Amino acid sequence: METISAETLVKSFGRIVALDRVSLVIEAGELFFLLGPSGCGKSTLLRCIAGLETADSGLIRFGGRDVSQLPPHKRETALVFQSYALWPHLNVAQNIAFGLEERRVPKAEIKRRVEEALEKVQLAGFGPRAIEQMSGGQQQRVALARALVVKPKCLLLDEPLSNLDAQLRLEMRHEIRSLVKSHGLTAIYVTHDQEEALVMADRMAILNHGRIVQIGTPEAIYRTPLSSSVASFIGETNLIPGTVLELDLPPATTTTTTTTTTTMATMATIATAAGVLRGRLTDPAWSPQPGTAVLLSIRPEAWRLQLEAGDNAIGGTLVERSYLGQRIRYGIDTAAGRQQVVEMNPRQLHPPGEARIQLHVRSADVLVLQETRDVR
Amino acid sequence: MKRRNAIFVTAITGLLFAVFFLFPAWMVVKQAFEGHRADGSGFFTLDYIAMVLRNPIYQEGLWHALALGVTSTIATLLIAMPLALVGQRYDFPAKRALEVLVLAPMILPPFVGAVGVRQILGVNGALNALLIRIGTMDAQLPCDWLANGRFAGIVVMNALHLYPILYLNIAAALANLDPALEQAAANLGCPPWKRFFRVTLPLAMPGVFAGGSLVFIWAFTELGVPLVFDYARVAPVQIFDSLKGLDKNPIPYALTAILLLVAMAVFTLSKWALGGTRQGATPRPKGRANCVRGDPWQAAASSGLFFGVFLLAFIPHLGVLLLSVAGRWYGTILPDELTLHHYLDALSNGLVVPSIQNSLLYAGSATLLALAFGLAVAWVVVRSDLRCRGWLDAMVMLPLAVPGLVMAFGYLALSQEGKVFHCLVGAGGSPFMLLVIAYAIRRLPYIVRAAVAGLQQSNPALEEAARSLGASPARVLRRIALPLIAANLAAGAILAFAFAMLEVSDSLILAQQTQHFPITKAIYTLLSTLGDGTELAAALGVWAMAFLTTAILAATVLGGKRGGLFKL
Repeated sequence: METISAETLVKSFGRIVALDRVSLVIEAGELFFLLGPSGCGKSTLLRCIAGLETADSGLIRFGGRDVSQLPPHKRETALVFQSYALWPHLNVAQNIAFGLEERRVPKAEIKRRVEEALEKVQLAGFGPRAIEQMSGGQQQRVALARALVVKPKCLLLDEPLSNLDAQLRLEMRHEIRSLVKSHGLTAIYVTHDQEEALVMADRMAILNHGRIVQIGTPEAIYRTPLSSSVASFIGETNLIPGTVLELDLPPATTTTTTTTTTTMATMATIATAAGVLRGRLTDPAWSPQPGTAVLLSIRPEAWRLQLEAGDNAIGGTLVERSYLGQRIRYGIDTAAGRQQVVEMNPRQLHPPGEARIQLHVRSADVLVLQETRDVR
Repeated sequence: MKRRNAIFVTAITGLLFAVFFLFPAWMVVKQAFEGHRADGSGFFTLDYIAMVLRNPIYQEGLWHALALGVTSTIATLLIAMPLALVGQRYDFPAKRALEVLVLAPMILPPFVGAVGVRQILGVNGALNALLIRIGTMDAQLPCDWLANGRFAGIVVMNALHLYPILYLNIAAALANLDPALEQAAANLGCPPWKRFFRVTLPLAMPGVFAGGSLVFIWAFTELGVPLVFDYARVAPVQIFDSLKGLDKNPIPYALTAILLLVAMAVFTLSKWALGGTRQGATPRPKGRANCVRGDPWQAAASSGLFFGVFLLAFIPHLGVLLLSVAGRWYGTILPDELTLHHYLDALSNGLVVPSIQNSLLYAGSATLLALAFGLAVAWVVVRSDLRCRGWLDAMVMLPLAVPGLVMAFGYLALSQEGKVFHCLVGAGGSPFMLLVIAYAIRRLPYIVRAAVAGLQQSNPALEEAARSLGASPARVLRRIALPLIAANLAAGAILAFAFAMLEVSDSLILAQQTQHFPITKAIYTLLSTLGDGTELAAALGVWAMAFLTTAILAATVLGGKRGGLFKL
């Protein structure tokens, strides 16, 4: 178990900059996620850590030791590939034994550890099978076992679940997390599936255009995104343009409680096309002047529908309704554009076309974001 | 792969190619353009080229070579195109077996086949004897099927020998087309025949051009067949005949240079016609093939086409086979008496056994050399990020464009007493080193293509996984990469070996002492020996056939995808 850190990594392929001065520290024993749209550089970062790509500049440290110049086979990481990369000319047990053989582990111990590893991924007795005789889910487990059995300093997972069907993906999420935790490994997991990241991660980094735009716990990232791109990438959100009317200074008028920290947030009053809304600034380092253009991010589940006007509310017309069983989704036209609203287990269903409806929101759920942030 | 190693491989390949390929070719070209003043200094001149072009005998030789190349290519296309199309379009009885059978020509050196053809289609051959017997031909006026001047005979031999190359290329191009492309055309209302001309044919053109240019270059510079047919008025034979006066006479150099220039022009033209697309690199389409089982008539016609072509292509083999067991065979349908004497006599002939040993040694060493070399090149081409890897790939394909005759000629000139390559001539004038290098360089394209195909099909993640689990690059190569492409490599190596065994130009020109003759030169020498030389040669030819059948069947099984090995 080791701390993994990257310092100002730069990697470009021709004219494309895949990593742009990326720095981050992953604590020992952490299950850390790299998340971002395709082409954001997350796989490149993982491959740099594995040593399969060499960064143009910058350092990678494993527990304080600079490994930037080490070839991949001396880094003692283990990478689980999206395609699994199981060797078709070797059977299941031989695939798993490979890394141990390369580490010159005695034969008897290899046999024992391979059997142990197979048991841990619930494939006991499958050792002599050929790879093509295994289903997709089983292959995925073999790939995991092959990586776990060598007790790597860092387990690297590159979209390991993207080739599985939806049901199996849900099951494997928990299985991978508990395997990583029970082995006490530092693990880095690349995905573009934000739900996977929210469910599994200890912490995550959001990448966009080769840069890290935010690092934090799933809850912090979901509740306190620093930019509109993060807000709309993690979960669904309504973005409303507006202008700052005034800032509540000094802060500390409202507290937001998260599991890890208590944040004192600056509140602001914002004019939008649909009316005035009060909201919370997510970036503590930012204090916009009155008149500054901003974006408001309001999650669909943060809106509450009511018939009578109230505090922090805007009016609209209900134009769309989808019934999804445990929840209802509405589309509501307001002067600030179409708003998506989700209600869980609602007491009453509003029929579409109902004359006017009020959208109410708690001021802590209105996130005030800088408009120009991470636009290149 | 480390960049440093990739650069190293590229540099070594470049160097070896420069020394053993470009240099000999350059020497030939240079001698053709270099005049000598009285003080010994050289100057550039077009005189020799002009002399060759003005000399009516050489003029005729060049025209004949060109005509042979063009007509052979057209004849080959006429055989190969229907085969490939029918094979792609229809299912028919015994399809798999027939598809292998039509590759039969590949197991016989064409000039040996020519002997067999003469025996069957000649004036006193088996066919005329048969026709006279059943009364459709006047015994006093036998028909000469091989035609006046034997030109047509050579074209027939070339076409029958070379159509598999074109067939495999077109078949591979068709097999690599995504069936959905044609289905989309059908879906948009395009009838079958229009579909063929508007979609299938344009997309298969790279295969046609690739195979066509190989066939042209081969036929254009063919030496063995015209020699056996005593057809001396063609440029390659004129070069071969003028070898004795090599030191002084610049004319054969000029003639060779002209052959080289034409061959390179055709090769470049076909590359240009391909438009830089790399059909070989596209992954195999997954859609459902358009193969249909037609009505019984269609199926029978398809089988018939394949079987007919096989029968035609088998005439030379049949002739050689019969000749090898014939006691006396002149003017009759079948030999008068059958005997196995020739096989026994062959074994006791001083030429035969050593030649088999020599050929195995030369071809085996050359294959090993080409294998090591080809694998490294393929590795750089597929797995490295060197910018020049495209050039490297193109360079190792060049030997396909340069006639074997030109190379052999260059090697011969350079290995004379006092020249650079003389150190490669072993004790007692052994051409071992020269032949191994010449064979290896000219067969390198087959190995590189096979290895490149294998590496492209195997996911680089398989190698990366091994590296991330602690295997050093050398171990990754041994434990993962090589086993995964072993089948491709074996297929390429077997083909390279087979073609090295059948090699004519280098073998005929570079091996000069009897004890160093490879099989092809032994056969050629036996053919001109009085007495039972022809029959002995046939017996040796049958041995070679049996041997190569086994090798090529193995390559077909291992290679899986047909044709990938012959692509430019």
